[in-house]
Order: sequence, then structure tokens, then C-alpha cells
Amino acid sequence: MIGIRIALAGNPNVGKTTLFNALTGSRQHVGNWPGVTVEKKTGRINRNGHTIEVIDLPGTYSLTAYSADEVVARDYILEEKPDVVVQVVDATHLERNLYLTTQITELEVPVVIALNMVDEAEATGCTIDRERLSSLLEIPVVRTVGTRGEGLDDLLDAAVREAKTSPHHEHIVGYGNEIEAMIASLVGVLAADKDLGDRYPLRWLAARLLEGDENALAKVKESPVSSRVQDILSGTDLDEYEAAMADRRYDVIAAVLPQVRTAGARSMNVSEMIDRVVTDRYLGIPIFLALMWGAFELTFVVAAPFVALIEAGLAWLSAAVAGWLGPAWLASLVGDGIIGGVGSVLVFVPNIFILFLFLSFLEDTGYLARAAFIMDRLMYAIGLPGKAFIPMLIGFGCNVPGIMAARTIEGEKDRLITILVNPFISCSARLPVYILFAGAFFGAAAGAVVFFLYVLGISTAIGSAKLFRHTILPGESSPFIMEMPPYRLPTVGTSLLHTWSRGAMYVRKAGTIILAGALVVWCLASFPFGVEYGSSESLAGSLGRLLEPLVAPLGFDWKIAVALLFGLVAKEVVVGSLGVLYGTGEEGDALSTALLADPGLSAATALALMVFVLLYAPCLATIATIRKEAGSWRWAGFSVAYGLVLAWTLSLIVGRIAPFFLGGA
Amino acid sequence: MTGAVCPLALLSAGTEATVADVRADRGMRLRLAGMGLCPEVWVRVQCADWGSLIVSVGDARYALSRGIAMKVLVREAA
Amino acid sequence: MKNVIQGVFGAVLGALYTGFGALQIVAVFTGPAVPFVPASVFWGFVLLVIGAVLLRGARNLSRGLDDGIVFVNVGILLSVAFGAIALLAAGAGALEAAIAGEAWSVADAITPAAYLAVIGAAGSSRGAEGSSGGSVQHDATHP
Repeated sequence: MIGIRIALAGNPNVGKTTLFNALTGSRQHVGNWPGVTVEKKTGRINRNGHTIEVIDLPGTYSLTAYSADEVVARDYILEEKPDVVVQVVDATHLERNLYLTTQITELEVPVVIALNMVDEAEATGCTIDRERLSSLLEIPVVRTVGTRGEGLDDLLDAAVREAKTSPHHEHIVGYGNEIEAMIASLVGVLAADKDLGDRYPLRWLAARLLEGDENALAKVKESPVSSRVQDILSGTDLDEYEAAMADRRYDVIAAVLPQVRTAGARSMNVSEMIDRVVTDRYLGIPIFLALMWGAFELTFVVAAPFVALIEAGLAWLSAAVAGWLGPAWLASLVGDGIIGGVGSVLVFVPNIFILFLFLSFLEDTGYLARAAFIMDRLMYAIGLPGKAFIPMLIGFGCNVPGIMAARTIEGEKDRLITILVNPFISCSARLPVYILFAGAFFGAAAGAVVFFLYVLGISTAIGSAKLFRHTILPGESSPFIMEMPPYRLPTVGTSLLHTWSRGAMYVRKAGTIILAGALVVWCLASFPFGVEYGSSESLAGSLGRLLEPLVAPLGFDWKIAVALLFGLVAKEVVVGSLGVLYGTGEEGDALSTALLADPGLSAATALALMVFVLLYAPCLATIATIRKEAGSWRWAGFSVAYGLVLAWTLSLIVGRIAPFFLGGA
Repeated sequence: MTGAVCPLALLSAGTEATVADVRADRGMRLRLAGMGLCPEVWVRVQCADWGSLIVSVGDARYALSRGIAMKVLVREAA
Repeated sequence: MKNVIQGVFGAVLGALYTGFGALQIVAVFTGPAVPFVPASVFWGFVLLVIGAVLLRGARNLSRGLDDGIVFVNVGILLSVAFGAIALLAAGAGALEAAIAGEAWSVADAITPAAYLAVIGAAGSSRGAEGSSGGSVQHDATHP
């Protein structure tokens, strides 16, 4: 059994992750925008007696270590020394992709090119001579279509063959006499430090030093040859070298390309046409808003019959269980605790799935990257790069991946702000709370109310970003540059797969964390023995009354206080807890009815509560992610405190103002 | 190829030009080179707005903020 | 010639969308006045956006700008997309009524977004011919 490690590298959005999934049979998230993979991912396959480990690296345009994800890719190849690097090349952007190839070959690792998206290139009338490309670059080139799984066997064969062959003869760009002489003298000096020579390819290191790469300078800083390196570098204009070296790389590519590619006739393609309209100065934002509203309309209206079916099913189950189970406490545990708690969350599965389906669709078509562009104007005004909008959009699904997606943002302060405002983007876990309360108290206007909450979340995020920018994290936003991927019509399969993988997480959460939460709340509501279930004499009641003074000004009673406390575990638990506390496991929309019947709750209070749930401290998983991504508990603590204060203030205001607009409803 | 050198950000939508110089710091310059934005490259402005613009570079299209676009000097195609 | 047909089509459909969009919004304040035009701020907004895209296309075409075609085509695309959303919503309404055993009439499904999309869809088949012939050609030879 021989182990072989294959690293998948390449430009962003060339289909690395699609290929990774096809190779390893895993279901990593794929999106049609650059930078979906921000962390390397590993998968394993067995093939002809080899254990092959495949590592999916973040996409990079170059290996200059300019942003966090580039460092991940470069350091992996340098430090972990994979047996072979498979560079996934987008056949429609050959020029730029080969630029990265010239940098990977300098790392002196065996390289195999997976020429991907050939079908798209051919659709534009372009043909690529694969064998000629292979012989010119002295790199095996395999044709693949990741989305259909074509060429995978050939690719693995080529990779294994390359990994086992040595020495390699990858073509390395020559930089011309003058620069090569400099590189040679630097290599001569660097070779004196054996440790450096063991760790890094010296020619590569010398070339990076000539380019003035700070990461490379840091690598030689500790070395005994450091001062001699400085002597050589100090007498030269590094800027000039860097420009000349980039030129040389493109010269080599420019010499190769005409020999291997015949370009098709170019006309304004469909992507450009659509972009002309959806990124229009005046129409761009209205179109974006219309599409978002379409998403919410679908989420509510189309899901409604399925929600009704699930409710009916749960009601039947609840009644049946009450009949089967003997002891009253057991019937209460299963009926009120489990079915009441978990069921009230499960009811929203259709809504969640439809929202995810729509978001996946927009994401897979490539529209979301345009949304980031449209929003760049707005983001620029609040002092963030447009790219910061993507973590926000992902945040609509769940804040945890949203916060992680902030890694593609270059500036450290920009990244921190993006992380800190992400919890205000209303994640799908909060949707059940809105659906429950908006549905109960606002009837036909429920969709509009939820839309308002999402807009409020976005406004709060924007306002907070501006506030942070002017107070705790001052400075200019770093410049923004992002590729606009071509529009693609997603296949039904991939859209459903995305929706399923995200939606399944929601269902799993219902089965684990929310089940646990519901059971804890049931216990608190039932003990001490003998009290009336869910009454103010129970433990939950005592706990709630302890907290009640804090939320009383907002019009919330002890039941809501308890639900909000448990909502910190996961926001859906707010609904689950209320389901348990109101003891409404028996009928379908019993919880809505119970809430409507509660004299302490008015439409205005419901609105204030929804605002509170939107803004108050992020859930535990999000807090942990902020801690991890921001690097300190200080920021996580700040996020919680800021959220609580803001939520309290805003819901107080909303609770006081709303009655005037709602006409005392 | 005639025409004066001016920042990319000042071009209007539909204009074609070649890059004359990139006046950004080293890290940004290397990154732009990786994306294909380096001297002598042909670009076309697709969409220019208040904050940012979309340019075609070779076969790829990028959204750039004004900040970067001001640092890329181009020579407008005659 | 195709540009003229597309331009007129865009102008007429754009005007219809804008008109019905405005009616839907006005109806929120006055109560539904016109049959089959329910009151809705949001659907009204969506119709206005689609109308604006189409009218913009018609205007650009009338000024001899080729990109007008693009606006008309994307306007038709949006029209069909939102028509589909309206139909899905109507279908779900019917299904929900069936489950709950409530009354439901076909009239509930007849909303401006749905019936205007029929015109849009009719235009899209013609538009497909028009766009392939009349798309904007760019000379992309690198100097």
C-alpha cells in the first residue's frame, strides 16, 4: 500500500472543488464565485493498491502570498511537499491560468494539468491542442469535465505516474540573462545554508527575493546568509525585476498560446449581455431587491401547503402518542417536550429548503458575484470592500460559514468588521421565529414583515460597520478586486444537492441540539414535581421571573425570557422552547393560536420580539467561530455585548413606535 | 496606438485601452499580474459606476474598486 | 427591422408592466379597483422594475443604441422568471386550500405578474431569433 498525496491547485472558480468532489465522492460546497474554498480540504480514495489522498487547496491567481487563502495554498505546497500538484486549468481563461502554472513549476514539484471546462471553451468555438500544450510545457495535460466526471481516470493515472517518476522536467520560465545571473548568484549564497536548501527550492526562493516578496524575505531572515542576501538585493531596483519577471512569464505564455489555441469568433456573449442590465447604475439595485423579494415570496407562499401537511402529521403523531403512552409524565415528555419542541422547528423545514434552493440557484448561476459588485457602491460608502458583501450573503444561510468566508478579504481591519457585523445578517435559524410570529400576528402581511426584518438586519450590519470604521477600527477600506464568473445555468442536480446538504444540516440540528434544548426546557417546565406544567411555579418560571425585569420594558414575559435564554444555543430553540412552555404539542398550528390568545402579546410586542431575536447575541456556534476567526475572546465578547445592547434598544423603540403604525392592532 | 495615459477609473463604459503602468504597491501589483492585469495588456471597460467598474482583461472579467482602478494607468485605444 | 419590432415590443410590454405595477401599489391605498389586479406593494414594485428595464431597452433602441436589445431581452427574462414565481405561488395557494378544505378559485391565480408573463414568454421565442441576429458584435482582436 503506497500513499500518494495529490494537491489540487488552480485559479479561483475553475472547478477545483467540483473535481475534488467527483474524485473523492465527497460533497463539499461548490459555488459559482471565486473563493468558495477558504480552507484546504482532504479526501481519500483507494485505487489500484494506492491510497491516494487528495487535498483541495483554496484558489489563487498567483503564489505571491498576498491574501490569507494564497498563503494557505503556497505554504501547503512548500511545507507539506505533496507528491504531485494537479493544477486545474480553466480552458476558457488559459492565459491567466498558465501564469499560475509558471509559478507552480518553480516550486519544483511534479505537476499535472487538468484542462477543465473544455466543453465551455469549445462552445465558444475555441479549440485547444492538448498534446501540443503538454509537450511545450513538459507537463502532462489531461482533459477533464468536472461537472460530468469526465477524464477522472486519466487524471489519476497521470498523477500517479508523475508522482512515481523522477527526476522531473517541468519547463521553468527563464528570466533572461541579467535576471538569471542575479538568481544564480543568490542561489549560490543561499546554498551555503543547508537548512534553507532542505526546506525550499532555492531557485524559487531566489526569484521571490528578487521580486521583493516579504514572505520570502522573512524566510531567510533567520538564516546565517541573511546579510549576504541583503547585500546583493540592496544594490538593485526590485520593482524593476518584479515587473520584468511578470513580463517574462506572460511572454512565455504568449509564445505558447498561439501554438495550441485557435480562438473562436468573439461576440458580446450572454454573460456580458446580462451584466449590462443587472449591473446597471440605476436598475441594478432594484433588480436585486426584486429578486430577493421573489425569494421570500417563494419561501412563504410555496412552502405553506407543505408546512400544513407537516403540521397535520405532527398533530396526528402527537395524538397517537398520547394514546399509547401510559404514565402522564411520559406522555407529557414525548408530547410536550419532544414533539412540541422539535416539531415546532421541523415544521419550518419546507421554508428553509425553498430559501436555500433559491439562494443556491442565484449562487450557482453566478448572480451573487454581481450582487457583490452592485453592493460595492454601498459598501464603499460604509468603508468596506464590495467583497465583504459575499460573507453577508452567505450569512443569510448561516452566519458560521459567512464569518469564515471573510477570509478572502485582504485587509485585517476590513476582515474584522465584516466578521463583527455578520451576526446581524438574518440567518435561516431565525426564520422560524419570524414565520411563527409574523404568521400569527400579521396574517397576509407576514411576508412584508419578514422582508422588513431582513432589511433591518442588513441596515444594522451596514450601520454597525460604519460605526466600527469610525470608532474602534479606523482606516481606509482596502481596494476590491473580484472576478465575475460567467453565468451558468445550474443543473437541477447540483442545485438540489446544495439545498439538500444545507437543509440537512438544519434537520440534523433539530435532531440534536434542539432536541436537547427542548428536553432541558421540558425538565425546567415540569420540575419541581407537582407543579402545573409550564406554570410560573416551575423551575422555568423561576428562571424566567429572574430574567423578567430585564426584558419587561420590552413587553416580554417570563416565558419569552426563558425562550430567549435558550435561543442562545441556537435561535430555532426560541420557537422550540415556546412550543414546550405553551404546551402545544397536540394540534397543528396550536402554538400560533396559543400565542394569539396570550393577552400579554400584541402585534407590536411580537414585532419587538422579532427585532430582538434578529439582533441579540449570536448563537453559540457563531460566537465560537468569531472567537476562532478574530483570534481572541475579546472580539467574541464584544460581539455578544454589542448585540444585546443594540437588540434591547431597538426593540424598545420598535415596541413603542409600532402601535402608532399598526393602529393599536 | 496613440492617446494620452490616464487612470483606468476615468474611462467610460465601452472604452478599450491598453495598460501602460500599474502604480500600486508590490503585493497588489503581483496580484494584478496574476490576474492578467499588467503592462501591454488589452482591457475593455464594461461598466463604470460611482464606486467601481467591471473590466474585461483577455477572456476574464473583473470588478475593480475605484481605488485600484485609479492606480492602473492606461492608454486609450485610438 | 428586428430592432424596430423588439423596440416596439419592449415599449408596449414595458408600459403594461409599469401601468399594472402602479395599479397594484395604488390599490393598497384605495382598495382593489380593477378586476384581476390585487393590491400588493411588493408585486407592484417588481412589475415597476421589469417595466423600467423594458422601457429602458425601448428607449435605447429608439436612440439607435444596440444595447437596447439586451435590456429588452433581460426584461423578458425577468418577466418570465417572475411569472413562474407567481404561478408557483398560485399553485401553492390552490394546494393549501385543498389540504385545508377551503374554497379556492382560479381567479386567485390570475395576477398581473402571471398574465403579463404570457406576453413576455411569447416575446421570448421571437426575442431568441432577434438576439442571435442582432447581438452586439465586438472586435476583440488584441492589438
